[in-house]
Amino acid sequence: MDPVAHIRAGAETGTPWRFRLEELAWRDLVDGLKQAKLPFAGLWCDGTDVHVLFLPHGNQPLAATLALEDGRYPALSPARAVSSLYERMVFDLYGAEAMWARDVRPLVDHEVWSSTTPLAVTPGPAGGHKGMIAFEPSEAFTAVEGLAAGVGPATGRMEAPCHVALTLRGETIAAAETVTGYAHRGMALRWRNSRVDDACRLTGRVAAGCSAAHQVAFCQAIEAACGEQIGHEVSQLRVVLLELERCVQHLYTLAALAREAGAVLVASRCMWFREQILKEAAPVIGSRLLMDHCVPGGVSLRSASEVGDLCTRLTELGDDIYPGLADLWRSYPGLSARLAGVGVLDRAGWERVGLDGPVARASGSDSDCRRDMRLYDGLWRFTAGRQEGSVEDRAAVLVDEVGESLRMLGDLVPRLGLTAGGRIDLSYQDGEGIGMTEGPWGRVLYWVRLLNGRVEHVFLRDPSYPALMAFESMLPGQNVADVALIKASLGVNAAALDG
Amino acid sequence: MGLIRAVFDAAFRQGGGRLKPVGPRWPLLLFHVDTGGCGGCGMELQALATGPYDAQGAGFGFVQSPRAADALLVTGAVTRAMMPVLETAWQAMPTPKGLICVGNCAVDGGIFTESYAVMGGLDRKVQIDLRIPGCPPSPQDVLEGLCSLFGKRLEDSAAAVQADGAGSSSTSS
Repeated sequence: MDPVAHIRAGAETGTPWRFRLEELAWRDLVDGLKQAKLPFAGLWCDGTDVHVLFLPHGNQPLAATLALEDGRYPALSPARAVSSLYERMVFDLYGAEAMWARDVRPLVDHEVWSSTTPLAVTPGPAGGHKGMIAFEPSEAFTAVEGLAAGVGPATGRMEAPCHVALTLRGETIAAAETVTGYAHRGMALRWRNSRVDDACRLTGRVAAGCSAAHQVAFCQAIEAACGEQIGHEVSQLRVVLLELERCVQHLYTLAALAREAGAVLVASRCMWFREQILKEAAPVIGSRLLMDHCVPGGVSLRSASEVGDLCTRLTELGDDIYPGLADLWRSYPGLSARLAGVGVLDRAGWERVGLDGPVARASGSDSDCRRDMRLYDGLWRFTAGRQEGSVEDRAAVLVDEVGESLRMLGDLVPRLGLTAGGRIDLSYQDGEGIGMTEGPWGRVLYWVRLLNGRVEHVFLRDPSYPALMAFESMLPGQNVADVALIKASLGVNAAALDG
Repeated sequence: MGLIRAVFDAAFRQGGGRLKPVGPRWPLLLFHVDTGGCGGCGMELQALATGPYDAQGAGFGFVQSPRAADALLVTGAVTRAMMPVLETAWQAMPTPKGLICVGNCAVDGGIFTESYAVMGGLDRKVQIDLRIPGCPPSPQDVLEGLCSLFGKRLEDSAAAVQADGAGSSSTSS
């Protein structure tokens, strides 16, 4: 059975790429997916329906919808492993049960909230748990014998809170599982029936360091729902935001990797380069972490007409500093040796969880959302770097991508002209839209539904779920001293994960 | 709230025999806890700790255990899941100790107001010794805020940022 044709055979909805299935057809779909390679993008619930989204060709979406029956739906996790995280989230927020799910443990609700199933029509009573969250291991985890250990959620490392429970044999990790939900801020509830501009501000605070990517994807989704398109020059300003963000975020990650690997000088150099870029960019853009500069209908920059000059200056800065930094990464004594062979993610690893972004590219994937984005026409080019999948390779790919982003900023200069930025007024009509972009860690995708001029529902897909699954499955066999290194190299971000 | 408030008043001020000496050779050690936010304030703290701001030269260090810390540096909107973690970290700190909120979220919830999962900041729940507002505050804002604890103005560090060169960069633990 071809799952794409199977979904398209469902009843049409108001959205051309979303089809409504009956429960039996949905079950057939799950069976069919076990044999097919249709890329899975996410699963969400809106209280009455459950939706699943696929990306059959490039950035082309295809969604299936099923009405909940007695608050239940057949799970996708038997066919797509990463769906299990979405199913657990749906259960925690709506109380909708996934039948035949692979994992039914809570994901973010650890009985400390003031109401359980907060998004359900009738939210449940307050959770009765007091004190620290208790770790609920899976059966597979308890079956492994060894010394119990754990890291987090307060490590003093300036990262979003997350607990990693470990079983050790000597220094080697025998089993690992994460406890998430510490950073759950209830984004889904905050988005529901919010004003569009407020919702956009919220998307910028899903995960710092990826704010521009989230807001660009969200704004594209809003514009798609309204049936509007923004001008070419303004869209190129958004590319400046995206590439600038990728550049500074990769430098931040590289600094974290170098620090964990003990190369303090390299970490310092990366952070220093990042600061140099931000010192140039922040006065023109308006902030350091690029939050709230992409708004529905356009951009909001402090000085849009100076962005062209800024790109020129950043390119010059890159010409000055980047070659030396890239060389330092390759040649710093002991750094490559420390990272080589650590945390290897093979092809089967990222394919199983549907991981994309630089992590997958460092393991031989050529997934890059920018390839099919009109914003990047004539700008993005295919580059292939290291593909062995270790932390060393991932770091090398990040270093390469910093160079590519700087190159793109230079190429953008003639396209920007003297554009003044600004935004067009959108008339918010009822409808659905989808928007996506390549964030620093991979594809960021937003689906929004507008109703009565407000945002009725938002679904967000970003690489944090697959990254978490890859992280958990990769840890057994690794040295316990490498946990933070591997976590940083995979882009596991609890802030984005918990929502 | 259950967060027990200990005496901070005397900690970093003039006088008092038990006081830790502060100054360039005696850094004020900070333990950072992200209580659930976007992580932006944490990134700016990292920039402060590793970037060319010379936080150590200004008398501040970051530690990875609350047992070694003088002040608890809180970012994020304080989720209900993180409140017990915050309390545990506070309890583990030696006295005298202080509480510093960095960013709007940690102060009053900022964009993340109180909800089923979020307590919405620490303001009016516990005594906060220093508030550094912003969404997020820049590393410079944070450093200036920290320096205000000692009643001193930030001149050297501001010069360090202006200085163009890797020589001014420093790292902290």
